[in-house]
Amino acid sequence: MSQPQVVYVPFKAGLPPMRAYMRSLWHRRAFISEFARSELREQNFGSLFGQLWLVLNPLLLSGVYFLLIYVIGGTSDSTRFGHLTATLFLFYLIANSLTGGVKAITSGQRLILNTSFPRIMLPISAVVVAIFRFLPTLVVALAIHAILGLPFSLQMLWAIPVLFIAVVMALGMAILISCINVYFRDISSMLPYLTRSLLYLSPILYEASKISSHIKRYEIVNPIFYLLDSWSRVMVHAQAPHPRALLHASFFALTIFIVGTYFFLSRERDFAVRL
Amino acid sequence: MISLSDFNHDHSRGAIAVSVQDLGLTYTTSIDKKPTLKARLKSLGRGKKHTRTVQALNGVTLDVHYGTVLGIIGSNGAGKSSLMRVISGIVPPTKGRIEVYGSVSTLLALGVGFNPSMTGRENVYLGGLAAGMSRAEIDEKFEAIAAFSELGEAIDAPMRTYSSGMYARLAFSVAAIVEPDILIVDEALSTGDAKFKEKSLNRMKELRTADRALILVSHALATIEDLCNEVIWLNKGTLMARGKPADVIAEYQKFMNVGKSASSDEDV
Repeated sequence: MSQPQVVYVPFKAGLPPMRAYMRSLWHRRAFISEFARSELREQNFGSLFGQLWLVLNPLLLSGVYFLLIYVIGGTSDSTRFGHLTATLFLFYLIANSLTGGVKAITSGQRLILNTSFPRIMLPISAVVVAIFRFLPTLVVALAIHAILGLPFSLQMLWAIPVLFIAVVMALGMAILISCINVYFRDISSMLPYLTRSLLYLSPILYEASKISSHIKRYEIVNPIFYLLDSWSRVMVHAQAPHPRALLHASFFALTIFIVGTYFFLSRERDFAVRL
Repeated sequence: MISLSDFNHDHSRGAIAVSVQDLGLTYTTSIDKKPTLKARLKSLGRGKKHTRTVQALNGVTLDVHYGTVLGIIGSNGAGKSSLMRVISGIVPPTKGRIEVYGSVSTLLALGVGFNPSMTGRENVYLGGLAAGMSRAEIDEKFEAIAAFSELGEAIDAPMRTYSSGMYARLAFSVAAIVEPDILIVDEALSTGDAKFKEKSLNRMKELRTADRALILVSHALATIEDLCNEVIWLNKGTLMARGKPADVIAEYQKFMNVGKSASSDEDV
């Protein structure tokens, strides 16, 4: 008798056979992009006005927040507006990944119950959607940067590794929250409060250098604080990020990604009976 | 997890396709319709149970050979769909072992992965990719899928504008055009109008080749008797009988005390 192509046996806990899993994930990569595209289409981003809204929405948001800080702070300048725009756009990459990721598994119920595939594809698709929504805002941020007369330098190439860290963090958060939501469905209702808190606790409406050292020492527990600070230094001030800040952001991104992925992969075989 | 294009072996009639050994499936499911953190926190210390254990399959042993069309019958809750899901790798077994000797395609529900806001054409790609086909395979089979669905120009209209029959036709066409070694079908033949039902049935008959194994779940006993050359009967997760379709169906009907009626023959 020939060898079986696949054998299914009971599992207690732990990771699935990773080699086969990764091979299957790679084989299905076209589905991830097609699925993300269909999600974007559903949100009307396939039309001209939908694409325009992709740019207008973050612009209006940054306008509103600029007004807010101008009213509260009394003064403002072009650097502050540049900082607000750049960091807000990167923040929304993470927030949109969380929002899309939280229901990635529960809304993919039909797929999960009827097809065998690596479930991690669903939160990955949510992050791909968030990246597609982020890219036009990056162009807008650079245009605003030029219009405001903010400096340009080769140090801005640091944006590539910082963005990479942000994507790893967004991926880790989306994977983790999509899994938690299978067991506690009200997490999705709590998410707006979590993202709003992150928005106010992170250097978006203010620059990291402007807050007191007393408060700043607590920011070590905010996973995106130093990520956004690094992004601001690179994109607004055209300077290299502080190595410590980059290390902090990398540590959090990797930790969240590893913990989230391990938690997800060790639970995903349970999803079909939990939905 | 196997994809359709991973394997392309020749299988002779009689060679083993799926071996199920002492299969047991027990799962824990939430008692609450939607498990929430709030409910869990509220009941802390009260000792209230939040989950219940369901024994879906118990000690099922069977072999499916190439060239066989195996029908699975049983009442609701008998474990038919659970057995399909375990063989497909959707749910892991809690006891026993399953060996699969070929590529598996599942047709457990129609339109899996479809997005109503996209056109029929786009959904052919989306559904095909969800089923594990590659883009090149879908390109190659697109014309056949479109022709089988008989949608004509409507293939380029958004699927939200489709009638339920049109939706089902396209969904069946995408699923039925796949030609895996082992095809698992769960109640998917009762789609569309009478003409399309017959066409679907004929397609299933076309797929009955010596180098393929078909596993078919249905409440439509006439369809089972017509298509299958072997039938198993499940009851409350246990294998009750296995044998020739007419014999097992008669035994099942006697057990259920329904007799041979028109309603039990119909597609449901």
